[in-house]
Amino acid sequence: MIELLLHMFRATLSSATPIMLAALGGMFTYYANIFNIAMEGIMLTGAFFAVYGSYFFGNWFLGLIFALISGLFMAALFALFAIYFRCDQFITGIGINMLALGWTTYALRSTFKVKGALISPKIVPLPKWNIPILDRLGQVGNIFSGHPFLVYMAFASALLLEIIIFNNKFGLHLRATGEDQEAAKSAGIKPIKMKWIATILCGLLSALAGVYLSLGYVTLFSENMSNGRGWISLAIIILVKGRPIGILSLSMIFGLFESVGLILQHYKLAPQFASMIPYLATLFVLYFYGKEKKKLQW
Amino acid sequence: MKIFRRVIISLLSIASAFLICAILIKIQRNSPIEVYKALYAYGLGSWFSLSSTLNTATPLIFTGVSAAVAFASGVINLGQHGQLLMGAILTAILGVYLNLPGLIGIPVLVVFGGFAGALWAGVAAVLKKFYRMDEFISTLMLNFIAEYFTIYLATYPFLDKKAYVPATRLIKRIYFMPDVSGLSLAFFVAIFSALISYWYIKKTRSGYELRMMGHNINFARIGGCSVELNTTLVLLLTGFLSGLAGGLLILGGTQHRFMKGIGANFGWDGVMIAIIANNSIIETLFYGLFFGALKNGAIGMEFETAVPSEFILLLQAVIVLVVVGARSAIEYYTQWIRSLAKLKKVVSGND
Repeated sequence: MIELLLHMFRATLSSATPIMLAALGGMFTYYANIFNIAMEGIMLTGAFFAVYGSYFFGNWFLGLIFALISGLFMAALFALFAIYFRCDQFITGIGINMLALGWTTYALRSTFKVKGALISPKIVPLPKWNIPILDRLGQVGNIFSGHPFLVYMAFASALLLEIIIFNNKFGLHLRATGEDQEAAKSAGIKPIKMKWIATILCGLLSALAGVYLSLGYVTLFSENMSNGRGWISLAIIILVKGRPIGILSLSMIFGLFESVGLILQHYKLAPQFASMIPYLATLFVLYFYGKEKKKLQW
Repeated sequence: MKIFRRVIISLLSIASAFLICAILIKIQRNSPIEVYKALYAYGLGSWFSLSSTLNTATPLIFTGVSAAVAFASGVINLGQHGQLLMGAILTAILGVYLNLPGLIGIPVLVVFGGFAGALWAGVAAVLKKFYRMDEFISTLMLNFIAEYFTIYLATYPFLDKKAYVPATRLIKRIYFMPDVSGLSLAFFVAIFSALISYWYIKKTRSGYELRMMGHNINFARIGGCSVELNTTLVLLLTGFLSGLAGGLLILGGTQHRFMKGIGANFGWDGVMIAIIANNSIIETLFYGLFFGALKNGAIGMEFETAVPSEFILLLQAVIVLVVVGARSAIEYYTQWIRSLAKLKKVVSGND
């Protein structure tokens, strides 16, 4: 029983990471007042290009670089449409997501000649880091030690970003841009530049979430493998109004739900119901949030 | 004149989207001309291709109209996928167990499919009305839940043990949708539903209220529309349309049973079509046919050339981005230039 619990907590950290990374990315655009729903798509291209780089160059680091470049590209595309072509941000986001789905599905077929999923020993996964003190703590240490470094990076950056957003010039400028673009302009901030930075950072972090999915969480790429995680992260951002600490804790809750689902599969729960859990959880969290909001309004 | 300009812009954008994808094909060392030729030949080239194009377009028209009606009323229903699946599974199950004469059975089953879709959208409507949950996220989440739920139903309780993949049993033969030399009657139902929706949105009082909600929700509220009630109505209505798509997919498609992946990408295709059509129902109809031709042509294209059929997913997304980008960029910058010219006139007039 204890073993199971330990296993569950370990899986929680692992499942929370991609959601958290994407949500932290979306946080930047949230504060810059850009309605960005492209995390899902950028995550998907990130996951694909991570596998692409890792497969062809036999090196996880190059996979990471490829994924970051793809994230950069998608974010730039988003910025081009949303900032310069004045497209509706929501529509642009859907377009980008569809592009990501189409592109990766097509590339999977035309580059790797497989349909559905690419599983190969040639894909080099992210290295696992053992944390020096923790790995001597036995079973409890096992929860925290031996994850790919992106897990630690996600947690560290959530804490770091909390400080940057609320106690730093950059964070202030970012929030000012989102709050009132014209006022920010009169204070000497370049809103277009801030929006670009926010979009690019979102692209990079979402791409990292994708890298973690395809090289850390599992070592394969399958069609549409982000499978709604980008949408869940969007829901998280809206729920916690962008606070990085809130993102950290809610992502953990979602990670817990996901890992509970995985474990319940061992107890004769149909796998389909287990897979449903994160989405049901999103609805429940939104439900409680809505109830709270209603109370406040009356 | 305005319509003329719109058509020209759309046509040019689509042409440039094809051009962009031609470059991509060229980079992969295939011949774009041959690819597009095959796409045309298998999408529209003969009666056989044309009729199967129209059959392929049927669910797209439904989901497209569903998305267009929702977006035009300012309701972000992205749940077409889930609503379609729920409609499909209910029709597939009832089609196995229900005993009715074919002539009555077919419409009853289709309508039941529609109701299942409406009910699924109704979940989002309830959540919106009573708990103020954004329909945009709740319909999305319901998509995933419907996906897994329907696969569960087809894998465990209603599994056809003789099938190779998880699927429900074949529906009764009397419920198969009749066709006119290959063209399923489902297509006419789709056209009919689209026209009805057009009439409803454009010519009725309730439709006018919905359009006003889409333009400016506060104006609609002050004007006396019950925005909450209308939102629920739109969700139910658009859910019904998507559910019909699912029901007809079972009765009129080729498989006549529910199997994993039957929903394909129809939900998102519908959303894309509505976006390109700028939420106009007549345009949605045309783009539905266009996407149907692409999808149907893709199967033949894979046959003839080295380009896999998944290429169409990419092409569709590029078309959406280019059309939407060009449209709004042209609109914004022409206005900008116009106001600049006006400003110059005013300034020089003052001198």
